[in-house]
Amino acid sequence: MSPELVILGLVVVTALAFDFTNGFHDTGNAMATSIATGALAPKVAVALSAVLNLVGAFLSVEVALTVTNAVVKIQDADGAPRPDLLTDGGQPLLVIVLAGLVGGILWNLSTWLLGLPSSSSHALFGGLIGAAIAGLGFGGVNWAGDGTKLDGVLGKVVLPALVAPLIAIAVAAVGTWLVHRITAGVAERYRERGFRWGQIGSASLVSLAHGTNDAQKTMGVITLALLASGRWTDTESIPLWVKVSCALAIALGTYLGGWRIIRTLGKGLVEISSPQGMAAESSSAAVILTSSHLGLALSTTHVATGSILGTGLGKRGAEVRWGIAGRMVLAWLITLPMAAVVGAAAWFVADGVGGLAGAVAVFLALAAASGAMFVRSRHEPVDHENVNAEWRGMPGAARSEAPAPAKV
Amino acid sequence: MENLGLALDAAWQVLLVGLVLGAGLPAVFALGIRFLGQEHATSGGTGFATAGPTPVGRVLAGVCFLVVLAGIALGITIVVAAGFDKEVSFEHVFPTIVDAS
Repeated sequence: MSPELVILGLVVVTALAFDFTNGFHDTGNAMATSIATGALAPKVAVALSAVLNLVGAFLSVEVALTVTNAVVKIQDADGAPRPDLLTDGGQPLLVIVLAGLVGGILWNLSTWLLGLPSSSSHALFGGLIGAAIAGLGFGGVNWAGDGTKLDGVLGKVVLPALVAPLIAIAVAAVGTWLVHRITAGVAERYRERGFRWGQIGSASLVSLAHGTNDAQKTMGVITLALLASGRWTDTESIPLWVKVSCALAIALGTYLGGWRIIRTLGKGLVEISSPQGMAAESSSAAVILTSSHLGLALSTTHVATGSILGTGLGKRGAEVRWGIAGRMVLAWLITLPMAAVVGAAAWFVADGVGGLAGAVAVFLALAAASGAMFVRSRHEPVDHENVNAEWRGMPGAARSEAPAPAKV
Repeated sequence: MENLGLALDAAWQVLLVGLVLGAGLPAVFALGIRFLGQEHATSGGTGFATAGPTPVGRVLAGVCFLVVLAGIALGITIVVAAGFDKEVSFEHVFPTIVDAS
């Protein structure tokens, strides 16, 4: 087996691993509110979300081959890899992609350990940006596009991150206010049962939208790696096995459930009731589907978190824990730079060691770091048993730090 | 700085559609629940006062829930159609699937 083939294999495995973390990182976006209000049993919720992610991944037939073009310059507008990165069976390009994926995975795992929802797409883009800066210099990054459409780091990452939470907060707050207004005085048994169904339906939509949006990013990355190594030549389509394996990876990750993040979103940020849950998920589904249709690349995580915050603002007397919201915003701000730093470091290691040994070294370092974080998470496990337990502060935070919820 | 203008342009559209679908449909759904919850408060004296929605309330609630379901179905169709290079046209009022322009 040639060294190039082994490196390609490592890239594919790492990309699928990223897709997997993407799945379990984002389960909470769709299902946290349904789990918190008891509309669905935790295990049922993650299973439903996994199936819908799987279906969504197959629905997204739009070719995502140019996904990296949003932030870095390693391929042409039509998806073909840059010719100058194709020496040695595409090794220069493969190493940049591998290092970028490592940055994305490690940041995803770190935020999961802390129970913080953060954007998986931003983590992936951050990793790729760091690796591209390390490998190609600052000119290797697509900072602002050419001005004809929303593009580049500014148009695809920075601006969407600023507007996503604001739009979601507004829509969810209005929705929550309307729903409470309209059903005021209605007998509790009708409200509770009706809104539970509404919640399950709207959360399902968010899961479906997530599958259509996120799985194709990994599909695009893997196909780019195949193109670079000459194992695939068609820039119009994605190999079937890539589609199937990415869909399965994101669904499996979703089913595993990022319980730490689900807990923060469902119990930590706002104490949520069924009507609020339905308003939040409806807002998320509508904003995510509309924005991706209009070419505004809003992060599912930013939208979902904004919606949950908004539903706290739209209901009188609801509690919003602003300390936790602040930590999330901080995590969003540093997602891109942190993933970029890890991506760049990974590239320097791979390049310093060189060749096959370099790629293997980076892969082993990734496996070791991931393993260490998993072991660390077992000290304070969060799973489907205790996901809804009373909120006593973020994982890893001292108990005494747990703030009294502020009244809004 | 073209990006900023483009982003704001797309953002207000998302906000508008988001408000109609993301806040409007839940409101219609809530209206449905309200109709369901209107029990026989005024039917006292007939001796047949039973718990449960009135027939009219039931019908109105059904209409509300159908509107919500139709809205969701339309949204999914638009998104899936876009993936297959099609789009949903409202040219003939009733939505039809056509080739993307």
